[in-house]
Amino acid sequence: MKKLSVVVLSVLAAGVLLFVVACGGTKSVTTLVYGTTDKVTKMDPADAYDIHTWEIFQNISAGLLMYTPGTATIVPGLATAYTVNATGDVYTFTLRKGVKFSNGDAFNAQAVKWSIDRVIKLNGDPAALVTQYVKSVDVVDDNTVRFNLKGPVSYFPALVATPTYFPMDPKVYPADKIVQDVNELTGGEIVALGPYRLTSFKRDEQAVFEANPKYWGKEPNIKKIIIRYFADATTMRLALEKGEVDLTFKSMLPSDIKDLSANANLTTYPIPGQQIRYLCFETSQSVFKNKILRQAVAALVNRPEINQKVFLGQNAPLYSMIPAGMSYHTEDFKTVFGDANVAAAEKLLTGLGYSKSKPFKFDLWYTPSHYGDTEVNMAEVLKAELETTPLIKVTLKNAEWATYKKQWDQKQMPVFLLGWYPDYVDPDDYTSPFAQTEGSKGMGIYFSDKAWDDLFLKEQGATDDASRNATFAQIQKMWTDDVPTVPIYQGNLYVFSKKNVTGVNIGATLIFNYSELKFTK
Amino acid sequence: MRHLLNYLVTRILLTIPMIFIMLTLIFVVLRVMPGDPVSAMLGGHAPQQVIDEQKAKLGLNKPIAAQYVDYLGHLIHLDLGDSMIFNEKVSSPILDKLPATIELTLFGLLASLGIGIPLGAYAARRRRTGRDYGIRVYANVVYCIPVFWMGLLLQLVFGVFLGWFPISGRTGPRVDISSFTWSGFYIIDTLRAGDMAVFGDVLWHLVLPALTLGIVLSGIFVRLTRANMLDVLKGDYILAARARGIPERRVVYNHGLRNALIPIVTMLGLQFSLLLAGAILTESTFSWPGMGRLLLERIYLRDYPVIQGVIIVYTLFVSFVSLLVDLLYAAIDPRVKY
Repeated sequence: MKKLSVVVLSVLAAGVLLFVVACGGTKSVTTLVYGTTDKVTKMDPADAYDIHTWEIFQNISAGLLMYTPGTATIVPGLATAYTVNATGDVYTFTLRKGVKFSNGDAFNAQAVKWSIDRVIKLNGDPAALVTQYVKSVDVVDDNTVRFNLKGPVSYFPALVATPTYFPMDPKVYPADKIVQDVNELTGGEIVALGPYRLTSFKRDEQAVFEANPKYWGKEPNIKKIIIRYFADATTMRLALEKGEVDLTFKSMLPSDIKDLSANANLTTYPIPGQQIRYLCFETSQSVFKNKILRQAVAALVNRPEINQKVFLGQNAPLYSMIPAGMSYHTEDFKTVFGDANVAAAEKLLTGLGYSKSKPFKFDLWYTPSHYGDTEVNMAEVLKAELETTPLIKVTLKNAEWATYKKQWDQKQMPVFLLGWYPDYVDPDDYTSPFAQTEGSKGMGIYFSDKAWDDLFLKEQGATDDASRNATFAQIQKMWTDDVPTVPIYQGNLYVFSKKNVTGVNIGATLIFNYSELKFTK
Repeated sequence: MRHLLNYLVTRILLTIPMIFIMLTLIFVVLRVMPGDPVSAMLGGHAPQQVIDEQKAKLGLNKPIAAQYVDYLGHLIHLDLGDSMIFNEKVSSPILDKLPATIELTLFGLLASLGIGIPLGAYAARRRRTGRDYGIRVYANVVYCIPVFWMGLLLQLVFGVFLGWFPISGRTGPRVDISSFTWSGFYIIDTLRAGDMAVFGDVLWHLVLPALTLGIVLSGIFVRLTRANMLDVLKGDYILAARARGIPERRVVYNHGLRNALIPIVTMLGLQFSLLLAGAILTESTFSWPGMGRLLLERIYLRDYPVIQGVIIVYTLFVSFVSLLVDLLYAAIDPRVKY
């Protein structure tokens, strides 16, 4: 036999053998593989402040209070009950007895206090969720813990349900530093109280979750979940279509969403969005110090056009900073300005002396990749909408995220695009960070008005629904006058899964409970 | 031998100023660019006092020259420093991701040689025929194709439409990789663990990314091999071999190709840096968790020390491969003396 034929046959034989061996690879129908383009930041609830890392903690840990999956209803978690004093500034929680961390350490009130004190001390990214409200935490006894607040906070239960408040094991997490990675922990594993344990984590590759045998609640349906991290949406889409992953969540491109939604082999779960996108104005010293100019810009925005051209109709126009579906939402921006209200805008601009020969010129900033690949398109469509009137001339500018944040801190961007996922499910989280004096500074808006601050304090302290409803109605009305921001759209999120995966139950809270997932036959 | 040793020592010593120049350039460029790692890290919500404290902790409040001197001081002790964004040594993510890039680069190199050299030799043998022209067109076309586009094309055709190969990652999605962390080279680790199924899976996952790199770079090897072969085939010893009745295939591939390979060895060293550059885009396309992806991610996060560390490692790699190629050149061509 000729040498070349031997070589060719050997190569072919090796290829076939390889194929057979590869096909015999580890396969399990009890493992669910979930693809995402999101990233984990820091493996420490005292510092993690992004939606994906919170999602991980929501599955490996638990709070004193939690949400019924798929709803915004707060129910007992690690605490079986709580009481509030008459002035609304002391919450006393009764803890569930017999609960253990995943390594067998006992869970008690001391662990709760230690965890909250740690968040306050380390002052990480989400620390304001605690420090703004909590004065101190007392251990009443092993199963009772008391939170002393700085003042009454009507949505405190929603705060307690956030991962920043989740109790961690004092024997595992260091008290004096923020943990970036799992290998910094005693034992090299996160020890927590949730339905799953994070048994393996390789940044940018995979995270492996296995059912926690010491979990105090209902056992998860699927015992092992592997998160597979993808560098881009296109590869993730291909992996889903090929069957390499069972489910994907965040973030597909609009064109992928359209195609996958029409794919008969997949199930699409649209999740009504609580994420919002909006324009911010630097209101203290830029050209937009004058609210009339802010009103003019607000009048020109054409939300349905942005939604259609950029997102193929997959999101919803937003007429208030409080998203539709949330309590106290109104449509004041629609009532007052509408969309593409060129006449109203021109009236405001000519009143200030602007004309075709002397247009109002400004820079509109966006960040090209932080919010996904559609941001460039959105900025360009917005520019075109604002220039529908010859009285405005817009220059688009962009900066990568790190620079973007620095620039808003330094008041270098007169108007810029931003986005928001809720920290806690309450209208306060969609309003006070932008228009209350302290929060507004952090967002680069620098809006400050005592009347507004008083209203925020009022709604934060109000314990009855009617009072909060009235206050938020007033705030939203005032928003159309002072216009610190212009809401644009409220985004839907999409989960795509194989037909045999059910239990995808993500509601307004955007909490994705893995324990609800199951395979059907 | 003494000359070779002198040459070796000289080349190694010359690597030091090369790294120094690269490092200085990168160091300065990163720090004069707008945006800073503290803003990226703290999320834009932190009070100014916290930002200032963090900058002081990271040494970012010092003048650039002082920061540079500090950095060089660490480097002399072979300490690449600490990540500014994550609480880890710079060497940690680099050592974690490096095996993935080496695996991909090696197999990409094998693929480019495995495709380029035989095709180039065949084209030379079939000079001025349709096959020769076809191969030359192939070589020109593939070299012009952007590597990420090639990757997407292979993913679509072989991964999605035909379903023959996986399209992302180093292993199947259901493989728990925590068992294969001994060296970070999954090929070695899976063999060591005796898990032949996963070993095969790892090799299968290498096919498309390696072919992506290999096909794009094969173009240059096709052209080089063909050109060298044509030169070599004009030689007197080739004529003599034919005159002795040696079969044409043996003349071309045994006698001709061996001598034509010598300049290709030189090109190998030069192409290695292209391979590393191509690997960055290939890793993004295939979600391959290597140094290229690490570099892109840390540029986004403004993690200066890690960016600098990755550049140093890349520079060392290219230097090492160039040196190896030179030594190999001397080994295979007795006419070459240092």
